[in-house]
Amino acid sequence: MIWIVMVSAGFATFLMRMSMFSGLIQRPLPPSVDRYLKYVPIAVLSSIIAASIFIEPETHAPTVMNSRVIAGAIAVFVALRTKSVIATIAAGLGCLWVFENLI
Amino acid sequence: MAHPTPTQEFLLGIRDQLPLQLGVVPFGMVFGVLGIASGLSDWQTILMSSILFGGASQVVFAQLWMAGAAPWIVGTSVTVLNLRHVLYSVTIAKYLRPLSLGWRIILGYLLTDEAFAVSIKRFENTPPPENAHFHLLGSGLTLWSFWQISTIAGVLLGATLPARLNLDFAIPMTFIAIVAPMLRHSPHLLAALSSGLAAVFGQDLPWNIWIIAAALTGILVGAFAERWTRAT
Repeated sequence: MIWIVMVSAGFATFLMRMSMFSGLIQRPLPPSVDRYLKYVPIAVLSSIIAASIFIEPETHAPTVMNSRVIAGAIAVFVALRTKSVIATIAAGLGCLWVFENLI
Repeated sequence: MAHPTPTQEFLLGIRDQLPLQLGVVPFGMVFGVLGIASGLSDWQTILMSSILFGGASQVVFAQLWMAGAAPWIVGTSVTVLNLRHVLYSVTIAKYLRPLSLGWRIILGYLLTDEAFAVSIKRFENTPPPENAHFHLLGSGLTLWSFWQISTIAGVLLGATLPARLNLDFAIPMTFIAIVAPMLRHSPHLLAALSSGLAAVFGQDLPWNIWIIAAALTGILVGAFAERWTRAT
């Protein structure tokens, strides 16, 4: 049973990824849609970032009082200052580790 | 200037994707550990990384399966969580539509958050590089390889990987590294803030609808903010 669910969900995910260039939808989108599409990466990734930082993993409740918020803020600062992917990830993970284990 | 060759584009895709692996590898290991801890077999955990190939949806799959949720609920939750890929598909479609069916199948399979975020910037150069699809192939295959290897590593390491490392926090950090430098104008910032707010307050919506609802909120707010700043 688990294989059936896994393969169906995997196939559905593949179809969604390929949907708009699958050839099944023939008509190209009007250029006016581009105004919206340029916000796709920012909007999608920001929702995942916010949920990972501001939601308590155990209670599922929103919070601003946890070490993830501070580590996330430091990561944003490092990202803006250095534009370095590696520095950003290292700063965020490093700060969280320090907060959770040393303080 | 001449367009870069397919090989050059492919290597550029690998080079652009590599730094993100600092966040992808810990998360892949977290999934490997979680899969086993959830009662999946080694093979179920390892092959899920190829079959589903989407980190967050694999975590949700394992957790719901462990909790004994009905199969259709597991399937629906995972599919709704991955709905955001339709947005990636719409955005990149005009560049990929002219390619052969084989190319479109491979690139469709490889169209993940990270591969999309890295390669769409390449496609959006003006004029779009002729061989930019090799860039997506390079970045997509890099992510795929690291994801498979780190899943296997997680399965092998199992419970020896201490939870206090908070390795699951690596993925939001890679996304911050991608998004923060994109926030150049106030409409971009508003799109990010509104999407984040909607995500936090939409958590209780059924089937993980929050993610697509928050994404659409951010897109609309960004586009309208842009129109408004132009008009004034």
